[in-house]
Formats: sequence, C-alpha cells, structure tokens
Amino acid sequence: MKNFKSFTPVLCGLAMLALFLGATPSARAGEAIVVVVNSANPVENLTLGDLKKLFLGDKGRWDTGKAVAPVMVVAGAPERAAFLKIVCGMSDADMGKYFMQAAFTGKSVTPPKDVGSAAAVKSNVAASPGAIGFVKASDFPGGTGIKAVKIDGVDAGDAGYKIKM
Amino acid sequence: MQTGFAGLTVRVSPAICFALCVLLTLSAHAQQSPSTPMTADEVNRQLLQRVIDLEAKVKQLEEKQTGPAVIPLAAAATPVAPAPVVPALETPEVEPPTVNEVAPRLKLVVFGDVGAQGYTHVPDTFEFGSLDLFMRARLSEKVSVLGEVLFTAESDNSISADVERLLLIYRQSDYFTASIGRMHTWVGYYNTAFNKGEFLETTTDRPFMYAFDDEGGVLPMQDVGVNVTGKIPSGKLGLNYVIEAGNGRDWYPSDEPAQNNQDRNNSKAINGGLFMRPDRFSGLQLGFSIRHDNLTVPGPAVGETIVTAHAVFVNSTWEILNEAAFVRHSEATGELAETSAFYTQFSRRFRAYRPYFRYQYFNAPSDDPVYINASSNTDVPLNITSFVGRFNGPSVGLRWDFTEHSALKLQYDRFSLRGLDSENGLTSQVAFTF
Repeated sequence: MKNFKSFTPVLCGLAMLALFLGATPSARAGEAIVVVVNSANPVENLTLGDLKKLFLGDKGRWDTGKAVAPVMVVAGAPERAAFLKIVCGMSDADMGKYFMQAAFTGKSVTPPKDVGSAAAVKSNVAASPGAIGFVKASDFPGGTGIKAVKIDGVDAGDAGYKIKM
Repeated sequence: MQTGFAGLTVRVSPAICFALCVLLTLSAHAQQSPSTPMTADEVNRQLLQRVIDLEAKVKQLEEKQTGPAVIPLAAAATPVAPAPVVPALETPEVEPPTVNEVAPRLKLVVFGDVGAQGYTHVPDTFEFGSLDLFMRARLSEKVSVLGEVLFTAESDNSISADVERLLLIYRQSDYFTASIGRMHTWVGYYNTAFNKGEFLETTTDRPFMYAFDDEGGVLPMQDVGVNVTGKIPSGKLGLNYVIEAGNGRDWYPSDEPAQNNQDRNNSKAINGGLFMRPDRFSGLQLGFSIRHDNLTVPGPAVGETIVTAHAVFVNSTWEILNEAAFVRHSEATGELAETSAFYTQFSRRFRAYRPYFRYQYFNAPSDDPVYINASSNTDVPLNITSFVGRFNGPSVGLRWDFTEHSALKLQYDRFSLRGLDSENGLTSQVAFTF
C-alpha cells in the first residue's frame, strides 16, 4: 500500500499528460472535408467518381477546356489520408505507385501538387482556374477566390455528405 | 516519498512531484525542443513580434489584390467575411512534385532488380536482372517526351544497353493523345500496364505469352510507329480506343526484332483496340485488340493476325488478371498455323505482403512458319530454344514490399513442356525503384 501511495503523484502526472495531449487541437473525427474549386469554375456538383478521375488524372480537362490541376496538402495530413481512402480507395503509398506506373506506361498525367497547408491549398486553388483541392471544414472559412462544390448533390455541412474524416 | 538511485536517497514530497510532472508536461508540449528556457515576457514579446510581422505581410498582400467580389461559400461551416478575390491566373499550376528532378523539366525514375534462380535442368545462379532508366519531361502543357534506357544481362553474360522506348507525346484532350517513336505495343493489357519495371509487377517475370520479342517472345511487344488513343464519349461505360501503326516485327533470326531504322517491306502493322472502364465497377477493365501485319520471313511472306482479349480487376487490394491471345499465320499457299495462349493471375494484398498465383498456357504448332525462327528465350529455362510447342503450368509466389520502394519476391514455377521433361524452378528477386 505504501508503494502504491508513492506512485500516486506519478500516476497523477501521467493522467495530466494524457488529458493535455487529448485536449490539443487535432483532426476531429467525422469532420467534413470540403472540396474546393476556383470561383471562376462553373462546376457546382461532382460525383465521387468524378473526383477520383480528377485527382488520378483520368479526366485532364474541365468542360470549359481548362486543364485540371489538383492540389493536396502534403502527406501526413489526416484530411489527405481520409480523402484518398474514401475517394480513391488508396493510401498515400498506393497513390505514389499509381502515378509512377501511369507515367511509366506513357500516360500523360500529372500527380496532384503537394502544398504545405490548408491555406496554401486555398491560395493555389484561388490562383488557378482549373485547380481543385480539399480542406477540412474548419479550415474552409476565410478562403477567397474559391468555392465549395457539392458531392453527389450534398453540401459538406449536410447530413449524408460522404467525405468525412 | 522516498526515491533512490545508486545508493542516493532523497525525500520528495508528493505535491512537489506532481507539480514537476505537470510542469514538465506543459513545457514539453508548448515547445518541442527549446534550446534555452524563456521567461513569459520573452515569449510574449516574440509572439507580439510575429503578429506584427504577419500584419505587415497581410497588408502587403491586400495592397496587391484587386476586385471586390465576394464568393458564395456553399458549404461553409461559418459565415465568411467579404474579402477580395485573388485574380485567377491563365496558366494553371500543373507542375508535379519535385521528385527526382534532375533539371527543371526532366524527371528521372530508376528501376532495378537482382536475384537468384534455380531450375531443374539449369545450374543455380545469381542474376543481374535489369537497370532501367526512365525519363519523362513536359515540354509544354500538351507536349511531353518519354525515354527509357535499359541495361540487361545477355545470355553470353554481357550487359547491353537498349533504348527501350522513345516517344514524343501530344495530348490534345482526354479524347485524343498521339505519340510517335519507339513504343510498347497495345497488344493485350500486360504489355502496356507493366512495361519493363519489375518493381511494378507482382510476379518475378512477365507471363510467357508476353515475353519481350528481343528476349525470345513471340508477340510483337515493341514497335516503331505512331499511336493514337483516347476516350470515347460513352458516359459511365468509360470506353477508350487505341489505334497503332508501325513497322512491325522482323523475324530474321540474326536481326533485331524491332525494325528501328528500316522496315523490310512497305506493309505496316496496324493494331486497333477498345477497352472499357465502367464507372460502376471501379478497377474493372475489359478490352480487346486486333493486329494485322504482313511478315517478311525467310521463305514465303506470311500474313499475321493477332487477337487478344482481357478482363482485369485491379485495386489497391486485389489484382485479378485474365488474358487470352490467338495468333494466325497464313501463307500465300493457304496454309494456316494457329497459336493460342492465355494466363490468369490472382493476388491479394495483406499489408506489405501479396501472395499470388498464376497459371499460364501457350501452344504453337511445330510447323508454324514464323515461330521456327524464334530465338532462345531468356525468361524461361534455357533448354527451351523456341516457343514452338506446348508450354503450361502454375506459378505461386509471395511479394513482400519491405519498403515503399523495394520489394522481395519469391516464386515457384512448375512448367510442363511438350516433348520435354517438366521443369521446377525457384526464383527470388529484389526489385526496387529510386
């Protein structure tokens, strides 16, 4: 019993550590991932299948003729992992291999551009009329020159939205 | 509380210990690796300076921006304040990540493989597989170039260099992409899906029917000519077309199979194919191709027609490949020689491991007027001097991706050969890319 008491402060400290780590900002499970395009892009709605084609280079041009330029936050971001899994059915490594193989087979496809942050995704999409990207819903406010698109007819804030972390 | 270390005993009160833990936790979390401890005033001063810097940058950016329009944000979680729109640029940013960038335009990927193998009737050996330099450069938004130089070990143990592919590619749209140069033909699925990089293949080798022509294979896997491909507007059916015209294959035994510089005849090999990737079944591809060429061989000219069909399903977990080919050689005298071949391959990924199974079959008549000219095949046991005859059997193996860019493969083969003893073989291969 004496030994147990002697560990009490340590246990309390560990508990505090766990609480503190748990309280830090991190990816919120279930948070929507908003798909964004340049505000000049007339597209308002995309299907999951469309998204997959756009990000994997199967569809290289919008209906307006502009080249599709996908942008993603760098590997390691939780929204990227969730997006790739839900939309493309791939991990980051799978996608790397996919584009390696696509280039190797002579397909004229370009992998998504990697940028460092959600803010960079938004600024890249705003700067390029053919760009498309995605950000967490909590990172979406404040974007200028961009707009959100519906996925399978559903807004990111509505029930039934499919792309969530 | 008493705590001891190497004979030293110190009394520490529980409250102090608890406070220390909390303090350590907070400080470790607030600053990943501070070199020197800072006071609260110093921290505040630094933060204030950063805010001032950021405000200055925002002001600079706002001064550069024009256009007061406010963009509706359909799915915003919270209302967005009006803000100027960043002017859209005419040139989209489509540069890929700077991976292996050896020049502003040129991207280089290297594939390699080494291994060991042992067959029943062949001495066990270590082997140098290949070193493959793959280059790609985007010359403009619509024009790119692809080059591939391959170093492989020959049957006399020398290592030779081969320009495997050299293509100038023009992509007008999703519906029209044209390329010209030395290419891998669109005969079947495997030849264009995997090309030379063994790292990308699940197995240690290509299916027997798709062995490269300069390694003794029978189907024309390489050609010099033009290729046009693209989508066919077909909605969710996902139809695509391929049309090729090239010099075709040379079957003179001492000649290079690909007619790189001079065709032996005026007749060009024509190949056409259709395949579909339906939206409803992501990963599924069904297709066929038909190729015709007039071959100049030792002896009378021979007409060659090759029909292939494939049904494949590939995603990040499953790989199911099924392909069949039918080859007809017709002589002016009306004599026909028909060859049939197929393979089926299954694999499933379990994390870094991918066990696989393949069964393949190839059967060519012994009096085929073309295949009697085939050179020895380096992809199969050396006692097979040509493809003439029947060849069939299973292969089982395991691929282990021990890093993201390297894989170890172990494969067991058992082949039955018409008129010859069966072969059992064990092959190991380390394939990598960098």
